[in-house]
Amino acid sequence: MSDRNFFLSPKASKARLREAENARKNRWDIIKAHSHGQVSRRDLIKMGLFTGAGLMIPISGLSPFARSAFADSNIPTGLPPSPLFGVQPFSTPMPRFDVLPRQPVSVLNPAPTAQANTTQQPVDPALGGGTGPIEGRPPGPIWAHQQFSQLPPVIAIQATMEGAKTNTVYNPTVPSLQNSGINPANPIPFQFHPGLPIQNVLKDWTYNGTIPPKLMLVRYGEPVLFRLRNKLPVNQSQNGGFGIHTISTHEHNGHHGAENDGFTGAFFFPNQFYDYHYPIVLAGRNSINTTATDARASGPTDAGGLLKIPGDWRETMSTHWFHDHMFSFTAQNVYKGMAGMFNIYSGLDRGAEDIVDGVNLRLPSGRASVSGKSWGNLDYDVNLMLADKAWDATGQLAMDIFEFDGFLGDQMTVNLIFKPFMEVERRKYRFRILNASVSRFFKIALSDGSPMIQIANDGNLLPRPVTLTQLDEQGIAERYDIVIDFSRYSVGQKVWMVNLAEHQDGKRVDKDLSLAEALSGNSPDPCVGKFLEFRIARNPAQPDISQVPATLIPNPDLSNIPVARERIFEFNRGANQTTNDPVSSFFGPWGIETDNQRGTLAADFGRISAAPRFGTREVWTLKNGGGGWDHPIHIHFEECQTLARDGSAANVPAWERGRKDVWRLRPGGEVKITLQFRDFGGMFMEHCHNTMHEDNAMLLRWEIDDLGAPFLRPLPTPIPKPQGVTFVPPTEILPTAF
Amino acid sequence: MNTQVNIKTGRRRFSANVLTLLVGVVAVLVLGNPSVQAQTTGTTTVDSSVTIATTGTVTEGTTTVTLNGSVIIKCRRVIDNTSTTLAPLVLLDFDFSQLQGTTGSGKTLKTYVTGENHATTLRPFQASDTIVVTVPYFDSATDGQQASSFLATATLNFDTSTGKLTSASLAYGTNVFKSSGVGTFTVN
Repeated sequence: MSDRNFFLSPKASKARLREAENARKNRWDIIKAHSHGQVSRRDLIKMGLFTGAGLMIPISGLSPFARSAFADSNIPTGLPPSPLFGVQPFSTPMPRFDVLPRQPVSVLNPAPTAQANTTQQPVDPALGGGTGPIEGRPPGPIWAHQQFSQLPPVIAIQATMEGAKTNTVYNPTVPSLQNSGINPANPIPFQFHPGLPIQNVLKDWTYNGTIPPKLMLVRYGEPVLFRLRNKLPVNQSQNGGFGIHTISTHEHNGHHGAENDGFTGAFFFPNQFYDYHYPIVLAGRNSINTTATDARASGPTDAGGLLKIPGDWRETMSTHWFHDHMFSFTAQNVYKGMAGMFNIYSGLDRGAEDIVDGVNLRLPSGRASVSGKSWGNLDYDVNLMLADKAWDATGQLAMDIFEFDGFLGDQMTVNLIFKPFMEVERRKYRFRILNASVSRFFKIALSDGSPMIQIANDGNLLPRPVTLTQLDEQGIAERYDIVIDFSRYSVGQKVWMVNLAEHQDGKRVDKDLSLAEALSGNSPDPCVGKFLEFRIARNPAQPDISQVPATLIPNPDLSNIPVARERIFEFNRGANQTTNDPVSSFFGPWGIETDNQRGTLAADFGRISAAPRFGTREVWTLKNGGGGWDHPIHIHFEECQTLARDGSAANVPAWERGRKDVWRLRPGGEVKITLQFRDFGGMFMEHCHNTMHEDNAMLLRWEIDDLGAPFLRPLPTPIPKPQGVTFVPPTEILPTAF
Repeated sequence: MNTQVNIKTGRRRFSANVLTLLVGVVAVLVLGNPSVQAQTTGTTTVDSSVTIATTGTVTEGTTTVTLNGSVIIKCRRVIDNTSTTLAPLVLLDFDFSQLQGTTGSGKTLKTYVTGENHATTLRPFQASDTIVVTVPYFDSATDGQQASSFLATATLNFDTSTGKLTSASLAYGTNVFKSSGVGTFTVN
């Protein structure tokens, strides 16, 4: 057993548990002071509480990695385990996601506008008073919704960001029978299990303030306007000790203009809203299939037919998620609950397994003839959001923002419920698995070692399905879509999803365990082992007619598109900060070196690190600069193809041979990818999705700025304030950016 | 007042409570005995691989499948340069794609394949390691949706001075989790 684990065992001595609790309380006071703006990280470093590289000095009584006074030498204090209040695993059903209502765009008041709505409103004195715009989107033509008149929003989806409260309008869109018996009419208090305490309004902040997590259902060819209203407290100190009330939502990984991408510096304030325009288009819409004649490039109609759209059908996407992207606070805000999922339906991936038209792949979902829904059936198409959490002695959500290597929880949740069960029928199910953790990687198997079929990676259907008995490690933000066939089991049997990836800290997986090791209960990592129980409850009412075709979606052929240039990004610890803008630059141990120049730089969303030419294709190499950590690297905007891992195409496994937007570099590893820059422009990001690394400060800005007016080269940087967004020139442009 | 800016600059005055806390903590720092973690960057990796010929049998129900074929085991050793005490890592990739199974003979001959499955795993580096992985297999005339699984137990030996994988052996066995990994419940 490792001697350096993040959490103490509940069986540790009372003295050690007391010591750990005291250390946590001491640290908590500093965390609160920091989150309230009373002390900065620079101050803490000056005081000697942190190393220059950003690590908390292992001080007894403060750090979980200080030597324990009650254990053998070199045994760390550890963190106290989250209390379970007698709750047993697999004792409560897993709720399906809560589907956000789809409304006609005419319900929006005020009506959405191409440029940000700068109508003035009073600003709360806690935010500086005076007046400010009702919409927090940066104003003017550069941040106007691109192609708004060509792709006007048809559907409005509205949500608020607010503190934890009881859900009285739960809408899973599936019958109770397909939701483990949950009656959606019953109010759902915000608690991780009915036996655990109800969460405080300041501790958990989610879309609409409720659980289950939210799901948007969209389809190709039907542009959506997502209006998010910030209803968080105006007083920054009303945050439950962590998180910040300024927010920015990233639709991961939408193909749309940067004004809708949740740019980290385009955050907005309480009492404002932000209109995100999701056109739901295929990449290549301006250059491939421009006359929309290919039926495979399509969205489903309500009548069961196809709406053909321009673009490359091989760029069809399926499983996205949306989450907060607030600069240097993403980890805290997402951990508080700012995460949902986003299913995109297409002619190929219809969500109606009984429509036979030669285009529909008929993946497990449900029958249109039963539900009356020609697309988006969720009966057998299940979103799973995996996240490790921790709570304090009173059962309230707890976080330690000073674990810059990465923060781990010690309790597994699925759809924000502690180790639930799910009733299933003896047939095929599709699971859209999202790793929504801060720093934890998963490696999933079934407890009986039975095969699963991986059909998609990062929301992109693979060229062909891959049969696996254990999935690859799944990094933060990666989405793995798999199919499990429960017909191999008998009614009355149960089988579990198991995590094989053992962590001892947030840097990386320490060890991948065998199934026997993971099931033994001997791992010091409390999140190893069973975390979701499937109960085979009955035979299906109708025969399973869903399919997993041998061919799904082949990759776009890029062979005739020249490579305009290559870039190298190396992800390192030990960053320098070359800029000092008080809003856009940040200091932390992590950083990125671009094209072997200027060294490793900490994040500044005012710095331009790369500016690919519009309409070109590039090859980027992502290198892990160290051997002791892993980084799941995310590139915004357009899906990429993986050309090589560690220098060889042969090292790219079958499940990564489709399109992707997050790559685990693996310790000491590198990945070569290729991507295009087309259809839209603006400022995008590239960062580590271990969000503790991202926030501290492994993030860079790249931009497409040569589309012509209204874009400028370079783009000015937005600096949001409650009284309005101002623009400043870039703080720095790296020599190889353009 | 823009509190966001305050977070970045830390210009706001400390409260009395925070000051008291920080003074106390700094005192602990002075009296304490902090250790410093290694902060080096740069990566040391060693790549190696072995290909081994394997045979074995696995049984599921009344069917015994004879396995035969080569397995490629790729290994990358990586030095953990964030720590002077933690062991290096090995990233392992087991490629079973050349492994085939058969039952029967003549007209009853059936061939089984493992598809594109690779078992990938990360382990602490040690002179020798035993790793058990599950492997899918299915009738080559089908698409893998009704695949079964077996266990592969790999014994790996490394050269501790070079970090290279020097030899390996594999034993195949029936998937015992097929029964032990499944429970029962009372259907309502």
